[in-house]
Amino acid sequence: MLCEKCGKNHATTHIKSVVNGVVREINLCGICAAEQGLGGFAQTGLAGMLASMLGDVAATGLSDGKRRCTVCGSAFSDIATTGKVGCAECYNTFKSELLPYLKRVHGATTHSGKIPNRAPLAVIPEEDSIDNLKLELNRLVSEEKYEQAAVIRDKIRKLEGEKNEQ
Amino acid sequence: MSNNNFNLPDYDIAASTRIRLARNLSGIPFPSKMSPDLLEDLKQRVKSAISDSNTPFAKSLKFIDMKDVPKIELGAMVERHIISPEFASKPEGRAIILSNDESISIMIGEEDHIRIQVILSGFQLEKAYDIAERIDTLLCDKLSFAFDNELGFLTECPTNLGTGLRASVMLHLPLCESSGEIKELRENINKIGFTVRGIYGEGTNSAASLYQISNQITLGISEKNAIDNLKIIASGLIEKERTLRSSLDITKASDTVFRALGTLKGCRILNSGEMMSLLSMIKLGVSLGIIKTEIDAFNILIENQKYMLMRKYGEISPDERDIKRADAIREVFKEICI
Ligand SMILES: [Zn+2]
Ligand SMILES: [Zn+2]
Repeated sequence: MLCEKCGKNHATTHIKSVVNGVVREINLCGICAAEQGLGGFAQTGLAGMLASMLGDVAATGLSDGKRRCTVCGSAFSDIATTGKVGCAECYNTFKSELLPYLKRVHGATTHSGKIPNRAPLAVIPEEDSIDNLKLELNRLVSEEKYEQAAVIRDKIRKLEGEKNEQ
Repeated sequence: MSNNNFNLPDYDIAASTRIRLARNLSGIPFPSKMSPDLLEDLKQRVKSAISDSNTPFAKSLKFIDMKDVPKIELGAMVERHIISPEFASKPEGRAIILSNDESISIMIGEEDHIRIQVILSGFQLEKAYDIAERIDTLLCDKLSFAFDNELGFLTECPTNLGTGLRASVMLHLPLCESSGEIKELRENINKIGFTVRGIYGEGTNSAASLYQISNQITLGISEKNAIDNLKIIASGLIEKERTLRSSLDITKASDTVFRALGTLKGCRILNSGEMMSLLSMIKLGVSLGIIKTEIDAFNILIENQKYMLMRKYGEISPDERDIKRADAIREVFKEICI
């Protein structure tokens, strides 16, 4: 069996994956499999599958070939050929092209899980925020979670510092 | 170290547990598109994020610039599962932050800007995740992570998007393998969004009957659910392996195990593949109570890999390596009587 990607070498890596009831099998040679990150540590069938699916979109011309990401300069065809995205902003720029494939790979398109805590400090009134943080600090100390407590303590110091400057 | 590992959860079958979180900073390209200057800046930013946190935990970590690491040590770090082979293949512009016991490593400039990895012996998914999550929170507080409300944490490869979590358990499954059941188990596990792959070896079987089970889906599933699901699947495999073990003919099993021990005690030339399959038999023999010893076959297996040996004996040829390996292994097993 020949490699599906280059069509030249013998396929040695066979990856089968079923997501949402759709079976996909891709057969790649060692070189193409390694190129898609399938030879190493983070071996996943999905990486290869994604590149081949994205390749299909690029080939059909569904994506406007001229549009480029403003941060890294990638075009959608760059993402399609490598299966790798250039930067975080690419997800914004090419969201409509990527969404159907994220759906096929993960079976979902909406994150469910940890959310980093950055924006809230600006939204919550400052006084409340410091009080809440102090409560949180006490809780963490009582649970002996000192690393997390230190983070909160630094936050409180920073906020109090800003308050005194005003 | 070998002595206390035996008390770890499911250590008769579960060699290790790994948690990896992929994180990127906003406003800069992913590493493969970064200039050397940007990569240098990234290393410094992550380094200060850890050191500025001023926690006792941060003080126990050391920063290692990969360009300062000799080639043999790079290979040995891969064998100890501290870094990925890909990371070792291109040390320029990369660094790691490593804990003293090497259970925590933060790779900087791999496929993603930051990869937090925690490896623990035995089957300890929650504990490993808890450690990784604390490091993530600490970094998150100092650095601005690329995060989208809809897509979650953004990663270079869309297959890691969302939680950025890859959770794995490494299981020793000699009987699932020899009975041929591993093939079907593998197919069934693939169907539900998890992967099973043999480590140390090409093809379907693994040299040491060691298999890594990992989650594949990272978007639309919470960290807790992904870990709970993996726990159920790995526990199922552990039960399956134990059931097969319980119906073994003890005389035949002892024969196989003691023959393996005999070879390890007497060998003068030992290549890595043969060592791994023999150690796999020893591990099985210890788990079944056929051999009584505190020798930890999983550790011996890592300590006698190619680069780990060269780290001790310098740059020696493959033939010399097989002799040194045989010497080291004979020494380890000399205390056990057959
Ligand atoms: Zn090919
Ligand atoms: Zn971009």
